[in-house]
Amino acid sequence: MNMPLDTIKYLGITILLAPLAGAVLAGALGPKILRGRTHWATILGVAAAFVASIMLFQTVRTAPVTARSAQVPIYEWISSASGADIAVEFLVDPLTSIMLLVVTGIALLVVIYSRDYMRHHDHPEPGYERFFAYLGLFVFSMCALVLGGNFILLYLGWEAVGLCSYLLIGFYYGKPAASAAAKKAFLVNRVGDFGFGLGIFLIYVTFGSLEYGPVFDMAARGITATGEALSSERITAIALLLFCGACGKSAQLPLHVWLPDAMEGPSPVSALIHAATMVTAGIYMIARCGAIFAVSPVAMNVVAAVGALTALFAATIALVQTDMKRILAYSTISQLGYMVLGAGVYAADSAVFHLFTHAFFKALLFLGAGSVMHAMGGIIDVRHFSGLRRLLPATFLTFVIGSLALAGFPMLSGFFSKDEIIHHALAAHPILGGMGLLTALLTAFYTFRMVFLAFFGPQRVPEGVHPHESGSWMLVPLFILSIGAIGAGYFGTGVTHKAFHHFLEPVFANTFASRNPHHAASHAAEAAHASFWADYGLMLISGTLAILGILAAYLIYVAQPWLAGLAKATWPAAHRVLWKKYYVDEAYQAGIVDPLRQSGRVCVGLDDYFIDGLVWIVTAVPRGLGYALRFVQSGLLQGYALSMVAGLAVILLWVFW
Amino acid sequence: MIGVSEHILLGAVLFGLGLIGFLSRRNLIVIFLSTEVMFQGVVINAVAFARYHRHLDGQAFALFLLVIAAVEAGLALGMVMLLYRQKQTLDAEDWSSMRG
Amino acid sequence: MTGSTAYALYGVFALGAIAMFLLLPQPQRSRPLVGAVAGLAALALLLVVLATRVATADTTVYFYLFAALAIASAARVISHPRPVYSALYFVLTVIAVAALLVLQHAEFLAVALIIIYAGAILVTYLFVIMLAHQGGSAVYDRRAREPLWTVLICFLLMATITTRAAVLPPAASPKGVPVSSSVAAGPAQLDGPPATFGNTAAVGATLMSRYIVAIQMAGVLLLISLVGAIALSRRKVRSDVPPMSARPLGQIGREVQPF
Repeated sequence: MNMPLDTIKYLGITILLAPLAGAVLAGALGPKILRGRTHWATILGVAAAFVASIMLFQTVRTAPVTARSAQVPIYEWISSASGADIAVEFLVDPLTSIMLLVVTGIALLVVIYSRDYMRHHDHPEPGYERFFAYLGLFVFSMCALVLGGNFILLYLGWEAVGLCSYLLIGFYYGKPAASAAAKKAFLVNRVGDFGFGLGIFLIYVTFGSLEYGPVFDMAARGITATGEALSSERITAIALLLFCGACGKSAQLPLHVWLPDAMEGPSPVSALIHAATMVTAGIYMIARCGAIFAVSPVAMNVVAAVGALTALFAATIALVQTDMKRILAYSTISQLGYMVLGAGVYAADSAVFHLFTHAFFKALLFLGAGSVMHAMGGIIDVRHFSGLRRLLPATFLTFVIGSLALAGFPMLSGFFSKDEIIHHALAAHPILGGMGLLTALLTAFYTFRMVFLAFFGPQRVPEGVHPHESGSWMLVPLFILSIGAIGAGYFGTGVTHKAFHHFLEPVFANTFASRNPHHAASHAAEAAHASFWADYGLMLISGTLAILGILAAYLIYVAQPWLAGLAKATWPAAHRVLWKKYYVDEAYQAGIVDPLRQSGRVCVGLDDYFIDGLVWIVTAVPRGLGYALRFVQSGLLQGYALSMVAGLAVILLWVFW
Repeated sequence: MIGVSEHILLGAVLFGLGLIGFLSRRNLIVIFLSTEVMFQGVVINAVAFARYHRHLDGQAFALFLLVIAAVEAGLALGMVMLLYRQKQTLDAEDWSSMRG
Repeated sequence: MTGSTAYALYGVFALGAIAMFLLLPQPQRSRPLVGAVAGLAALALLLVVLATRVATADTTVYFYLFAALAIASAARVISHPRPVYSALYFVLTVIAVAALLVLQHAEFLAVALIIIYAGAILVTYLFVIMLAHQGGSAVYDRRAREPLWTVLICFLLMATITTRAAVLPPAASPKGVPVSSSVAAGPAQLDGPPATFGNTAAVGATLMSRYIVAIQMAGVLLLISLVGAIALSRRKVRSDVPPMSARPLGQIGREVQPF
């Protein structure tokens, strides 16, 4: 028996429209009527979406394994004679339901957290209502992206979340850095989205349809719309173009530059959008389009390489940053690199699993950083405060839990998910796997460097700041997320018989799983259960690396602080390169932004002289004529009469001669 | 016999002379006087054609022309008086504010 | 018009243009004496041209006489520097035209012309000239504007009209009777009133029978112009006496005389 389509349809509509309604209410009634109570509109909307997501998840889970995917049409949107029929439809399957749970769940916690965060001494900040409206709009956009059943809805959701990101990063629009960061985010995403759009065009040209079902079916069978064989160049091109979009949205090399700057937005925004949901849209897209990616080995290699490189690259930069949110941003880029790497080695279910756990602990870390920022009067640079563990005990506790999960401390959620990806990577491309291991070590190190710098050491706070622990509106979400950070990993382990991966199996069965060339290599050892080393060797190594990283950070930043200065003095050049983020931003500025500005100036000059000159010449004709003939208008009656008579004489002459 | 053509010629000459006076004199009153000269030319023409066509329509027309001339003279001179009161001059070139 | 007559007329008009140009009041260039001589010469030539086209007889000499008088005085109307003299020359023009009308057997019109023009309109003009008297010949009277262009264009217009636009009946055979005919002296023939009516009665009959509506409209027009002239020339009356309605009835009774 198939899933009840009507139930799914109404649940889907609720998930989509409830946050939107909340956003509209917040935006329309907030400024004048609701004011300080505007958060209720968004909280209720997102809560309704969350409840509906749970119900949707239950519906999918209780359906038989073979029938867990449903394409639910809502209405016919565009239908043209030339065959471009685009409907508003949902595709509901296990992947969708998991993503929706993550999105709405984290969003609900973030919205609750924001109620206190966007206030000072219990007075709402200016723009309070706008914030909640934008948050609701974002949740709507992300759900549309995830729920969409064709590429058009995916693209629409994609762009809409980009828009909401722009609006929310530039929330403090009076601050030049914030509006510049918002512009940067939007423009860099635009570059990625351009490739993405081209990919979608190519899909339409090749497959003649934009719906997931027909497209994936044709891709899997290797044929195009006309029935000819699908050339591998074509499918590789499509996959790489789609991956462009993922690079932009999920901040992979070389389009990662917007994410650190996006930290200008409020911390809840960073937690929701730039940790848990929007940036994971790229991973979701790759997972969803498995049929396209999995048939192109070239594309998969590119994806894996980019993911591993990004992970290592970002981890090295995070080693020397001093702004807590920047460290977390680079760590997000690095973890996203892990997810992309996972997808690139045909382990998409591991990638989604890491997405799942990462959402918990990264959101936790960002909200914790927000709590610190709130207490420190807006300052988040660790050079200005330290020793906060006694001043902000609850924040400290939850922050440490999140950091342990991020670092991959054994038995916490991050440990399990990261381990799986490294396992598959080592089996497929040992070099990339090695990079993944190195990154894990660095991750543990810089995460706890941040923890020790901020929470340990002598107690000092910036001038004039009276730190106080945050209120319950902020702490309760932190606690809930801590529970997730600790326990979410167990869904993917033997305790639950790998429930998570089994749940996702039908989605990837025909795509990643079946075409995995490294399938034999990675599963042979497992199946054999040859030795303790084969089963648990990797876990041992990664656990040890995590603990080593933490101890190293402890040594350098708590036990013997002079060691940090020594490192910096010994390798000043290396430190400088890392501090300047490998000069990527400067390279973009010099290579792209400045030439564009220059050409803009050239165009302005062209416009002013050439085009305006042409126009001037055209207008010179009537002006000249007028100037020449002005003397006729003397204002004198007799002059006019003379002209009239002259005209009469000429006419008569002409007629009668 | 003096026929129509001679009268047309005479009427045209009077009309032309009146036109010259209208266009070249600057005194407002002389301008209107010149229009009266033009009227004379037209009257001669009308009556000549009446005789040519052998009925009296032309003469009736000339009578109405006389009425119009009288009306025009009255109103024109009234306006000339108003203009004279504004600027104490009868110079037609003084009123050129519509120039350009 | 036949070629030779046309060219002769062009010559006459050219001479007349030069004469007019010299006669118009211009401070430097006006040569009234030369202009007068040239004008009279042109006039004479015109009459000669006309004369060669028709047989000499009967009333024609009076036609030439009064035609010459009309043209000469019209020329003087427009070229005299002093407005009063312009008006007086105009009276002369009117009389000449009236005489021409009598020659055409339009006696009623002739007399009406004299009464209305010379009697009413010209008197009005003279009144206004006197009211707007500037003391001597004013500067704007002594200079004509653009005399060259005006004269050229107007004579061009005249030439075109007479030689081209007016398709005249063929000229008379030399010394013969012109083909266009001749109305014999006597009252015009019309449908309506009997031939025994004189010109006045005939005109009256025509007016009252065929143009009755036009007469009514002419009357209305005269009324309108009367009202308009009064409205135009009213001075604003500033009165220190308050309007009637503002004063108490008793006072009104005492002030307003019954008869």
